[in-house]
Formats: sequence, C-alpha cells, structure tokens
Amino acid sequence: MSVATAETTGDSELFTAEARINGRVYRDADLFQRELEQIWYKVWVYIGHESEVPEPGCFVRRQIGLQPVIMVRGQDRKVRVLYNRCRHRGNLLCLADKGQTARFVCPYHGWSYANDGQLLEPTFEEGYDNHLTREQFGLTPVARQDSYRGLVFASVAEHGQTLQQHLGAVTEFLDLFIDLSPQGEIALDAGVQKVAYRGNWKYMPENSMEGDYHGPFIHRVAFDLYARRTGFDVSSLATDEVPDVIRSLPGGHMVEDYRGAPFSPPKREPSPARLEYIDRMKARHGPDKARQMLTTLAPLLYVFPNLLYVITHIRVVQPVRVDLTHSYYYPVMLTGVPDEINDARLADHEFMFGAAGFVSPDDLEIMERNQVGMQARGHDWLFIGRGLHREHDMPDGGRGGLTRDETHLRGFWRHYVSLMRGER
Amino acid sequence: MIDPRAVEAFIYHEARLVDEMDYTAWFALWDRDGRYHVPIGADPASGQGRQVSIINDDYLRLEQRVDRLKTGSVLAMAGQRGAMRRVVSNIEVLAETPDGEVEIGSNFILGVARTAEQQMWIGRTLHRLRSAGAGFRIARKTVLLINSEHETPLLQFII
Repeated sequence: MSVATAETTGDSELFTAEARINGRVYRDADLFQRELEQIWYKVWVYIGHESEVPEPGCFVRRQIGLQPVIMVRGQDRKVRVLYNRCRHRGNLLCLADKGQTARFVCPYHGWSYANDGQLLEPTFEEGYDNHLTREQFGLTPVARQDSYRGLVFASVAEHGQTLQQHLGAVTEFLDLFIDLSPQGEIALDAGVQKVAYRGNWKYMPENSMEGDYHGPFIHRVAFDLYARRTGFDVSSLATDEVPDVIRSLPGGHMVEDYRGAPFSPPKREPSPARLEYIDRMKARHGPDKARQMLTTLAPLLYVFPNLLYVITHIRVVQPVRVDLTHSYYYPVMLTGVPDEINDARLADHEFMFGAAGFVSPDDLEIMERNQVGMQARGHDWLFIGRGLHREHDMPDGGRGGLTRDETHLRGFWRHYVSLMRGER
Repeated sequence: MIDPRAVEAFIYHEARLVDEMDYTAWFALWDRDGRYHVPIGADPASGQGRQVSIINDDYLRLEQRVDRLKTGSVLAMAGQRGAMRRVVSNIEVLAETPDGEVEIGSNFILGVARTAEQQMWIGRTLHRLRSAGAGFRIARKTVLLINSEHETPLLQFII
C-alpha cells in the first residue's frame, strides 16, 4: 500500500481554462496558509458597518484572516480599525464581542488605552526609564482603512489597490440594497446569528451565490413553506433562465442580478405600512426606479473575499482552518421605514437563515458533505462549466451568464488564482 | 397548588416526544397562542423587540417547522432518527398564577449523533404551562443555550 504523498499541484493548475477546479483548494492546509498571506493579508476585507458602533466608545471585535482587530468609535467620533493586541506583551486586549468603553484595559499587566487607541497608562511606569513614550505605544492601526456608505473595510497591507479600485463595479449593487432604505441608510442593529460548518471557507461564497441551481434540490421544502406563508414562490424566479442574472465582476466579486426577473405580483393587498414605504421609495428614487426596486429581489452579491448580501442580511465569511469556517448573519434593517417593514424583514430572515432557519441548515449540511467528498482524489477535479460556451463580456469588465450558469464562479476562481500567483 | 410531580412528568414526556421525533404528538401539546423561542444571549428577554433570535416561532411558524421536520426530506435532517437523547434535570416551579399558569425552569444536556462525532447541546428551558384537564398545554417555551452567543452548528431538531 502506498503512502499518500504531499500534494504538489502548482497554483496555475488549481483552476483551468476548461472550468475545472482542483480539489486541493478545499483541503490542503498549506494552501490555506498561503491564502492567508496572498489573499486575506493583501486585499481589502470587510470589517463591519458604522451603525454597529453608533456612539463614542462603542466597539466590536472582528478578524482579518486570523488576525484579531477591534472596530471602535473614538471619543472624537472617528471609527478606527485597530489590532486587538496589547503593545506590552501582546495579550488579546479586548475579549468582549461588543460593548462600549472609554478605555481598554489589558487584563494581563493593566496597561490601558483610550478608545482612539492612545496609550493612557502603562503600569509601574517609573520602572521604564525613558524607553517608553506614550506616543510610541498606542494600539497599532491596521495599515489601511476606508469605507463605502457605512461599510468599513480594512487591509493589513501597506500598499495595494484603493478601496474604490477594489470594489469597482460592485458598488452599483451595494447601492441597490442600501437604497432599499428611503434614507439610503441601513442599520446592523438587530443582532447577529453565528454559525460554524466543517468545510472550507470558499464553499460559502460559492454556495451562497448559486441558489437557483441548487435551490430546487436542497431547499424544496423551505420554498414550499415560504410560498404557503407568503404566496410568493421563490423558485418562480428561476422558472425561465434570464440573461445576465449571473454576473462576475472584476476583482472576484459575484452578483445574482434579478433586475431582469421581476416576481409575479403578490396575491395580497399591500398593508398601509407597505404603501407608506412604497411612497417614500418613490419620493426618493422616482416612480420607475422605485417600482423596479420593489418588484424585484435586490441583487445577491459577494464582495471578495468575505462580504455577502443575501436577501435579508449581510453575511460574513470567516475562515478558521482549511476545513472549518465561521459565518455571521447580520439582518439588514432599513432606516426611515415603518416598523412593520423591518419586522417583516426580520421575520423573513429568521424563517430562512441561521442555524435553525428553514434554508441555511441545508446549505451548511451540504458544505460539510462537500468537504468529505473532497477527500476522494480519484479524479481530483470539480467542474463549473455551465454556460461556459455562452458567457459574454459585460461593459463593467465582468461577464454575464444565464440564471443557473456558473459564470460568476469562474470569475471568482480566475481572481483567486491571480492572487495566489501574486499577480496582483 | 400545582403538583410538582405532574409538572415533572409533563416535562419528561415532552422531552421523550422530541427525542423520538414524534413531532405530531409534540405539536399537539401547544396552545394556539404559543411561542417557541431560542434567543441569542443569556437573558430570556433578549430577542424581544427587533433583535434576531436563533428561533422565534409563533404558532404558525412552529407548525411550519414541525411540517418541515416531519417531511423527512429535509437534507439537514437526514439520518437523525434515534440519534438524540436529552437528560432534563433541576426542574423547579418558578411561579404560579391563580388561573392555573405555571412557570417551570429546568436544565438539559442533549447529545446528538449527527455525524460520527457526537454533538452536545446544553441549556436551560423556561416553560410556561397551562393546566388543561389532567395535564398541561405549552403556552411558551424559551430555551437559553449556553453557547447561543457563539458559533453553533446547524440545529435541525426541537431543542
């Protein structure tokens, strides 16, 4: 019996022009380490939304790859992304997931920092002679930080694309869900569901962005229940395949753009709150755009590498190990709408998503099985070739495909390979 | 006065029904204004207002949940029959109202053999029960998981 040898496939062979992915990308622990360096510690990573830290001193704990950071609003109201590590001996400074504080005090030796990161007080300071100046021992800010409409991104790399360059054409789609608020403002103030699955992180963007293909197979029961509850059959969105629903964008971003696929009118009369919402949307966007936004599903989107918007929520992908991933589901609440609209969004969200929703668990289960399947190496290639012959270039530099095509996945993998090769 | 033994017997009975996935019999225990709630956070009141929960079912949603579990075709449920057992303990009558409503606290440890690796779910349950004939009906069941604020695996059974 032969002993399994180290996997030696070159990066150029991880994804081929024939739309084949090597199974190693999901199971190779060395590759996972290289992804951290080549991807997570190079590109812009979504950190959080400014509404999560509404007041001075409000903070949330986050990660960039495996590196712990804090997003905190200082007394000066400025939002900062700081490494969550005491400058003294490197202890994890902040353990709480979120909170509000004037100062962070390290539990190890008591050094304290203001909520803008400045060192307030080293302890037993007299013993440090003049080696310790407060200016030099503030919390370390992440190299680069920027935001788009309240979405805060950071990069631990000193150099690279600007956030604007990184986002590129995906801002059009970010706008579409943020503008579901007639004030053009969302709030992530309804809490978070946290899930874990024993599978590679890349399954999450892949699986989240192709519901029309796998939906009828793994979500049939949930779709039926939803149709019974609301009169809206989700699967009707994909009865006919519509051109350019599936979009890949430069930068590895993916979009399911349903603007060309309006859903059938609801069977129920709109409630007074809904009518009020429609009026406010018309006032902001004009009747045509408002109608388009309210009669289609807001695009599902993936911003490389860790941000998703899926129907009701912002979803964050957090790699832990090559075969373990955490994911965070933040329901997106709309500012400036009648309460009933957000209540309904939250009810829809709880119906579908989270560990005990009627949709998410099927995805989590299938991703875990995917990880197991990937241990079989007889023919070590996955095939994402649907629509390869008919995909076409879009004006934004991406490519378009039909509803169930895998055009967007190919865009993701092309970008992935280019980063792993160090081409960007 | 509520007979604590009757309360205990009811809690054990309920636990056995969900362990054995007899969801029809379990759902029949509920009153129509019932709420089944698994909040995120240690406070039974969390998940009130506009805060997302792990589960926050009114009677209609609970019926859908049960329907979904009963179809047996739910992917995430495959292979679970006979694969879970819970131990319920520390049962206490916390409050009683004159009209026969009673608040019960209890703790549980639930083992689930969803894969070769067993999962353990631990928590506290608050039952609000109403006397009905010789037994009770469930008006509210709130489950406080000790790990509700951490990352959990999928939860596709009745906790």
